[in-house]
Amino acid sequence: MAGNFWQSSHYQQWILDKQDLVRERQLDLQILSEEEYQKIGIFFSNFIQILGEQLKLKQQVIATATVYFKRFYARNSLKCIDPLLLSPTCVFLASKVEEFGVISNSRLITTCQTVLKNKLNYAYTQEFPYRTNHILECEFYLLENLDCCLIVFQPYRPLLQLVQDIGQHEDQLLALAWRVVNDSLRTDLSLLYPPYQIAIGCLQIACVIMQKDLKSWFAELNVDIDKIQEISRYIINLFELWKSYDEKKDIQGLLNKMPKPKLQPTR
Amino acid sequence: MDSKSKKYEIIEFLGEGQFATVYKAKDSVTDNIVAVKKIKVGTVEDAKDGVNRTALREIKLLIELDHENIIALFDVFGHLSNISLVYDFMDTDLEVIIKDSSIVFTQSHIKAYTIMTLKGLEYLHMNWILHRDLKPNNLLVNKKGILKIADFGLAKRFGTPDRLHTHRVVTRFYRAPELLFGARAYGPAVDIWAVGCIVAELLLRVPFLPGESDLDQLTKIFTTLGSPNEETWPGVSKLSDYVVFKKFPAIPLREIFTAAPNELLDVIGGMLNVNPLTRPTCSEALQMPYFSNRPPPSLGSQLPIPSCIRDNPEDREQDAKGQKRKFTDYSEGGTQPKRLVFDNFA
Repeated sequence: MAGNFWQSSHYQQWILDKQDLVRERQLDLQILSEEEYQKIGIFFSNFIQILGEQLKLKQQVIATATVYFKRFYARNSLKCIDPLLLSPTCVFLASKVEEFGVISNSRLITTCQTVLKNKLNYAYTQEFPYRTNHILECEFYLLENLDCCLIVFQPYRPLLQLVQDIGQHEDQLLALAWRVVNDSLRTDLSLLYPPYQIAIGCLQIACVIMQKDLKSWFAELNVDIDKIQEISRYIINLFELWKSYDEKKDIQGLLNKMPKPKLQPTR
Repeated sequence: MDSKSKKYEIIEFLGEGQFATVYKAKDSVTDNIVAVKKIKVGTVEDAKDGVNRTALREIKLLIELDHENIIALFDVFGHLSNISLVYDFMDTDLEVIIKDSSIVFTQSHIKAYTIMTLKGLEYLHMNWILHRDLKPNNLLVNKKGILKIADFGLAKRFGTPDRLHTHRVVTRFYRAPELLFGARAYGPAVDIWAVGCIVAELLLRVPFLPGESDLDQLTKIFTTLGSPNEETWPGVSKLSDYVVFKKFPAIPLREIFTAAPNELLDVIGGMLNVNPLTRPTCSEALQMPYFSNRPPPSLGSQLPIPSCIRDNPEDREQDAKGQKRKFTDYSEGGTQPKRLVFDNFA
């Protein structure tokens, strides 16, 4: 990733306020609790991750797709577009924007079908209901709702720089922090904080897990420590949610409860 | 998004390229005159690909950019693969101006165009974007004499070391030797080379290095500027498409550009350095004495306006030159399909 973050559409238009986010979700939160909403978000982030891995996409593309997904539902109710359709559409658009190879629409659909059948059959008993024309129509709608802001900054590059600054042989720390950044995609963090702050937050969590004392290094960073604590809290909350929740058991009920578009595709 | 199409009233047809049709239109809300570029729906296969990739590249980059010498994207509308982009309206382009034999360039004119091009490009490179298709036809000029860099259909972000680029970019006449030798890791110097060719063209009023094939392009470059060797360009022989050329001496630029001041020859010589690593950056080029010496660059209002738009605007539709506006994806001679071959590095 490149460019000037402070002048980017990401910083100027897409760092949202927590209150705004809650307000935009009012409609969905009348039906779902905040925790249920988050669980649905986690499920579809996983779907995007699995899709991306099956399609052999770089993590950068997967992360961008996930942020598109988050941004779309930061403005729209879940019943606006079925997230099962929006997820592959985000992957499709992100792969074009990031210019890492072409994925054909038909391959995307086939991959959706196999992923649903082989990996997510605990959630969906029927086969993947969407076709090429659905994805194409949805892509345009997504582009519009993103206000054509397509370049997304991710925490991965600042994370690399930070770990380099800590020292030479920090591969283990980097690998762990990298995974925490991946986990952070399951939260609202990418909508609320600049990526360099998320990178620092994830690094802090990784240090705690590895019981590595870098207090003096953190103290010298010129950042708003309160923000970093807020970010850490989001991630700890995510870990706690994961501990107490069995997706395989609960997700079908949640998906049934989820607000849905009036028009369902004919199966 | 579809309803927005009603927001723009089409005034006239401006031109057609391989991938788009361009109209002059009025924004019915603000009364601003804009250019609407309607991306053509290609084949059935293309339609399956969703939003056109070239259009997507323009959208994603132009949304992030804001500079006087870069074309502004105001709006995007349409439906499915039928997509339209709305830009600043620009009256003409540098190719039309160069080809208009009724216009005589002064040193101040040439300096002004060069400065505006370099400032726009400096901003792009600062934002880690390579344009990769600079040519007079992509440098749009409006009646106020402001030059703006347009057509980002081949532009790409750079700066990630492990990410390679295709070398099949840039219209041939303006293509740098490292690209012709098949380099996959290259940088802003390819755009600088193109600017060097454009400045030379401002002086000569015809393309400086009009190669008829890729090999002929290299021949033209080396017979004019001298052939490289490992000493003058370390690493050149390791490039994938490297071919050994006969030893040509460089023709002194003074003999080619007889009317140009020495400081300008320094600028051209620097930008057209065969070894990419020794070309100046935009910022370095702008610091060269030529740009601060007399005469000062012309103000926009003093810059020439081509006869086709200077005359009665009513006649413009009939004027062939008026039709010959940018957004044509092909210009005669060094052509290069706009479509990129995507490299699958994933």
